[in-house]
Amino acid sequence: MTLPSRVYRDLEDIVGPENISDDPAVLDSYRYSLAHTAIHLGPYYDTFTPRGAAVLLPGTTQEVQAIVQLCNQHRIKFKASSTFWSAQGYPSEDDTLQLDMRRMDRILEIDEKNMFAVVEPGVIGATLQAEAMKVGLNAHLPGSGCSCSILATATSYFGSGPSNLYGGWQYDNLLGMEWVLPTGDLFRTGSLGSNCGWFCGEGPGPSMKGAARGFLGAKGAMGVHTKCAVKLFAWPGPQTLPVEGIVPAYRTPLPRNFRAYTVAFPTWKAWADAAYLIWETGIGYLAHRQYVMFGRDLKFAMVKILTDPTKTLGDLEEILEDPQVQRVTEESKRDFQIVLAGMTPRDIEWQEAAFDQILARTGGWKVEAMNEPEINQWMLLYLIRLGHKNLNLVFGGSYDGAFGLVGVPDYGTSHAEEAAEFKKTWEQRGAVVQAGGDCMMGPIGGMGGGGTCLWENFTCFDPHDRESTDGTREFFDACTQLGLERGWGVGMEKWNAQARGPDGRTTPKTERDRIHLSSPQPAAFRYQHKIREALNPNNLGDAYYETLED
Amino acid sequence: MALEDFAAEMDRCSQCSYCKWIPFDQVKSWRFAKNCPSVSYFNFNSYSARGRYAVARSLLRGESECSETVRKIAFTCMTCGSCDVSCKICRYNLEPLGMVRELKFKLVEDGHGLEAHRALVAALHSEQEPSDRPRRSRGDWADGLDVLRPPTEKAEVLFHAGCRASFNKDAQPTARAAVQLLRKAGVEVGILGDEESCCGGRLYSMGFRDEFLRLARSNMAAWAEAGVKTVITSCADGYHAFKHLYPPLGSQVEVLHTVEVLDRLIREGGLTLRSAVPMTVTYHDPCHLGRQGEPYVPWKGVEKKIKGQIVVYEPKRPRHNGAWGVYDSPRNVLRSIPGLELVEMERTREYSWCCGAGGGVREAYPEFSEWTASERIAEAKACGAQALVSACPWCERNFRDALAARGEGMQIFDIVDLVAKAI
Amino acid sequence: MDESKVSLAEIVGEADVLEDPGLAVSPSLAHDLIPPARPHLKVRPTAADEVQRIVAWANKTCTPLVPMSSGEPHMRGGTTPAISDSVIVDLSEMRRILKIDRRNRLALIEPGVTYAQLQAELEKQSLRVVTPLVPRASKSVLASLLEREPVISPKYQWNLFEPLRSLEIVWGNGEKFWSGTGFLRSDKEEDWRKGMVPVVGPGPGQTDFNRFVSAAQGSMGIVTWASVKCEVLPALRELYLVPADELSDLIDFTYRLLRFRFGDELFIVNATCLAAILADGPAEIAPLSAALPKWVVVVGITGGQILPEQRLEAQRQDIRNIAQQFGQEMLPAVPGCRAEDLLTRILTPNSDSYWKLRYRGGAQELFFLTTLDKTPGHVNTLYSLANEHRYPTSDLGAYIQPVHQGAGCHCEFILPFDRGNRAEVLRAQGLFQAASRRLHSQEAFFSRPYGIWAEMVYNADPMTAQVTRKIKAIFDPNNIMNPGKLCF
Repeated sequence: MTLPSRVYRDLEDIVGPENISDDPAVLDSYRYSLAHTAIHLGPYYDTFTPRGAAVLLPGTTQEVQAIVQLCNQHRIKFKASSTFWSAQGYPSEDDTLQLDMRRMDRILEIDEKNMFAVVEPGVIGATLQAEAMKVGLNAHLPGSGCSCSILATATSYFGSGPSNLYGGWQYDNLLGMEWVLPTGDLFRTGSLGSNCGWFCGEGPGPSMKGAARGFLGAKGAMGVHTKCAVKLFAWPGPQTLPVEGIVPAYRTPLPRNFRAYTVAFPTWKAWADAAYLIWETGIGYLAHRQYVMFGRDLKFAMVKILTDPTKTLGDLEEILEDPQVQRVTEESKRDFQIVLAGMTPRDIEWQEAAFDQILARTGGWKVEAMNEPEINQWMLLYLIRLGHKNLNLVFGGSYDGAFGLVGVPDYGTSHAEEAAEFKKTWEQRGAVVQAGGDCMMGPIGGMGGGGTCLWENFTCFDPHDRESTDGTREFFDACTQLGLERGWGVGMEKWNAQARGPDGRTTPKTERDRIHLSSPQPAAFRYQHKIREALNPNNLGDAYYETLED
Repeated sequence: MALEDFAAEMDRCSQCSYCKWIPFDQVKSWRFAKNCPSVSYFNFNSYSARGRYAVARSLLRGESECSETVRKIAFTCMTCGSCDVSCKICRYNLEPLGMVRELKFKLVEDGHGLEAHRALVAALHSEQEPSDRPRRSRGDWADGLDVLRPPTEKAEVLFHAGCRASFNKDAQPTARAAVQLLRKAGVEVGILGDEESCCGGRLYSMGFRDEFLRLARSNMAAWAEAGVKTVITSCADGYHAFKHLYPPLGSQVEVLHTVEVLDRLIREGGLTLRSAVPMTVTYHDPCHLGRQGEPYVPWKGVEKKIKGQIVVYEPKRPRHNGAWGVYDSPRNVLRSIPGLELVEMERTREYSWCCGAGGGVREAYPEFSEWTASERIAEAKACGAQALVSACPWCERNFRDALAARGEGMQIFDIVDLVAKAI
Repeated sequence: MDESKVSLAEIVGEADVLEDPGLAVSPSLAHDLIPPARPHLKVRPTAADEVQRIVAWANKTCTPLVPMSSGEPHMRGGTTPAISDSVIVDLSEMRRILKIDRRNRLALIEPGVTYAQLQAELEKQSLRVVTPLVPRASKSVLASLLEREPVISPKYQWNLFEPLRSLEIVWGNGEKFWSGTGFLRSDKEEDWRKGMVPVVGPGPGQTDFNRFVSAAQGSMGIVTWASVKCEVLPALRELYLVPADELSDLIDFTYRLLRFRFGDELFIVNATCLAAILADGPAEIAPLSAALPKWVVVVGITGGQILPEQRLEAQRQDIRNIAQQFGQEMLPAVPGCRAEDLLTRILTPNSDSYWKLRYRGGAQELFFLTTLDKTPGHVNTLYSLANEHRYPTSDLGAYIQPVHQGAGCHCEFILPFDRGNRAEVLRAQGLFQAASRRLHSQEAFFSRPYGIWAEMVYNADPMTAQVTRKIKAIFDPNNIMNPGKLCF
């Protein structure tokens, strides 16, 4: 035990003995393997995040405050996570107290008229969406799926997903927030701080929510967020999703005001043109380049497996031999998925007509094979509920994303093919799944109304196989090298390399500084250092909140 | 098999926490979205399938020891299999239920089994029964029934009563009714009575592999001697044991649950239900009849990789993910009962919530077991049902005990009870 | 020799340094409630590097700076000094539209660019920008967006800063910084075609620097350019009016439109407010107000570049049906107002008298954020206080603007008064102060704390004040940026 016993007892007094543990096996179940989906820093074979000092399950904001105050008193680092999926939620320093926010899982309010919900950290997308649908509303779900904490995606990380373009991404949707600062003080932002309710996250005056998250959140390194409100949007569908089919091939026969399409384009420019036109026309409820995550060569075959409860991965090779599958695979090279949802019959009629116009103008087409009812209804359910995101890891248990190419559609589309070819070449070496190079998943619209796209090139590997993980890392290093040469910058494959290194612990300062100094605006990290000094004077987080000292 | 055989899976677990929730597509509310009783109750990640993968890995690597906490983590698993279903929504190369079974076996083999369970096993050894009654009274429940009595008489169709029915007075009428219905439909059925051994399923799920083997072999020998070709049982635990755990040992008998037989008989006209049973009921899918009640498909093979790093199996490995469990037969039977209205809970079929009795949890962690049952009862009430119906005496008993402990009211029936009313 | 003047003249040239510039008489109560200090100088930079040098000088000399981008009239007190010896930094000469990119629907503008100027240029590329309710001609687009003025088309507001995106900021410490993807901005067309476009607002990194300059009244830094998201110029558009006697009768109808995101422009005004917008002179307002319906929802419908007729028809029918469902009528005209006339007015920034001042020459704005369902209660509160203060309720303008796609609602009252009539001034002041306090106690969120609201909100929310001061200390350690405002 690394915690002094008196500290352990004090923590026990706060949360109750049944909600704290320092049993080594329990602590090991709160470590993350960096052979795994480290989320943009590894993989590193047989490397784990440090074992925590103890793990706690707080039940209230007051308990969280008391824990954080105790940590300040004893200078103990702490890190909270809600669902513990991704290396970011884990300590990068020894002797860190881990807070599992699972018990704080209430949906406190759904304001139907003003369209927002107030949630605790343990509320996941699936349950919020299910409750919201009962009152005709929907919640924006992150691309990582409905198993993720809504609060975490809104306050602490990214929060981009297929409903960005209509529902807004979580940056847009985060309203009032209750934040236990790293000092243990309680900060309520926006209207909440003025006791006016949750509806507004900004102000008074300059919005201090800006210290909690920018493009990204603080990734658990700056205190603990204990409640937040998120904006919802209309759900013009039934109060409960009607689900049919045999597991896992569930599908939803939604009413005719919902349409789901896979569309493809003759060129990348046409693809980009379509994205721009969709945004400026104001249609689309969900839009994502989704199934290409399995790889250009494998995606339709995988759809066939996933929509047939009698099939498994073992059928993949046989399915790939099917001429129809080969035709559809070829046809849908430059594709994405889109769901239209009409608020009224006239609305869907117009959206459909407008979408057909867009396809006509850009030379795009609907991939008919994906319109087969069983596939189409499966696709609709998949995109709405996003309950199959574990498929990221379907092949062998691990994936991570390379490149990213975050920017306007013209940016990504002008480099996508090169990124795909580069990966395809590396696939032949055998360390990663041979998927066809283009495995670039991402939203059609990175924010409300569109604007940007993201091209995360899924790289699937086996975390149990040293050659696979080592080979993947080699590939990622090569991706970074290519990105730097081409002026794309360091890609997603290393987005967190400045926080954690090959030993599972905080990246050494010299390396962090080197990375930050080579960024387009090192000043951003200098300011973050000052913000950290101001709000986290005892520095009880970790380097996931990125700083650069003068 | 051994726990070490799951080492690759311990690394390949997605760590996605899908094992803590019903399949997300099926989530209809915040209240009834969870699937795993142990992590829902104890909350630490360690109490979920992903957590148990991590704990198992920690033990195998010698990075931790089998503490009291580790025993609790392992033995609070009801082996209900819901984690397995949810995991396999997306994963084709993980077997979390198989892993946790091996974890329990290992702990027991290493001497870390629970006292409460050891007492049960010891009782069996001295020819007591899980219900703590002497074996020689095992067949008393069938006194007066028109049944064949192997080994004296050969019986191609055997009714296996199971321990609950054999020794619990409240379960015996249901067993009797089952046999009477079969007889009414003209099915010649025998019972082993005193020669019947516990199916061993419960011991298997507690981690006592050797004890299970002993009991299984005893039953199989008795069947062989009696000329049994088909075994019918009203106990889901027994059903699963006979259908899944016995065939690898060489058993080739056909295994049917009473509800499957009733369904067939009603459809074929062998039984006609005429009397109205005006009631709104909801049906609880027992884990071992539902998601674990799929057809058994033998397999022996090895892992291989295609397309570089896609993990598959040679030959193709059958998938047990709850898709083909016995869900429709009990519902068909209930819908055949005049006047009966069947409403569904939110968590049904392959993603049904466990009753709380499985895996030895009822014996070792009664409070937790009762809580689990009470969650299901709350769900039954929430869907507007007057009665909760199941097809397993363990489930029914656990529900009744939870209701009594909490001073709550709700009618609990076995399907057979309602069919008997409707005849 | 005034050393300050000399130093500043070295930066911007003598002609652009004005000594003792004085202060225009405010048509609002801003100066009555908090008497301003006289500014020492006014300086007019024309380039970002001049701004940087000014700020550097101000740090060295500990001189307060008060940024200003819009022309007169100033109503809220944000651009008048609280401290003596301040220098007003008048950015209105920085009025270049640096770029309009049709494909990415982005405009890059300097602080002095006004709505009239920008809309005219955008129109040439079939674009437009969503605007506040009839901004004055001299209003800076950038200032309006920075100050989180509500826009009249809530459906485009995915967050409260929209349509503001990347910024170039000169912080109070003198450092130049780009928020969002502002660092991407290139002057080369080929870079823009390659997608190097400053379209992202948040960040960079884990801090939202935009938020720190938003509604800050220039107290954190000076923004020297901004990228602004534009919408397509509608090929077709119509405006409709949905009248009612009671505001409460219009709430559910408006909520339904917000939920469906139907309509483009969408806001509610009372008769007095609408009359002020429609009238050409003060004498018209009272009779017009008497003729108009007490409350009106104004709904714009637009058809873009794709199937505009079909879009318009679908919206027209659907919104009409929704109105009927809620017992209302969607009309092209009401007594006193033809919707197409109103449409012309709301699409045209006021070039002569500002409509809020049209009635009595002076007016005080009282605005805050709330939720739409609470607005009838707020209206009642104000009317009842108006009666207590013997302020004629018929003079009160009310403008209710859903924001952030309906998550919140800007609620604004306009209290006209005759600046030349001391009694009216005092009466308006009394009402304004009492109403501010009362509404604040009724959960009105004064998110843009001008004047006396600052003390009110920060006293009630000391934690926000504390954190805000900490952030201020980072970006303006010498407190030279508009000191005495907010909680500084």
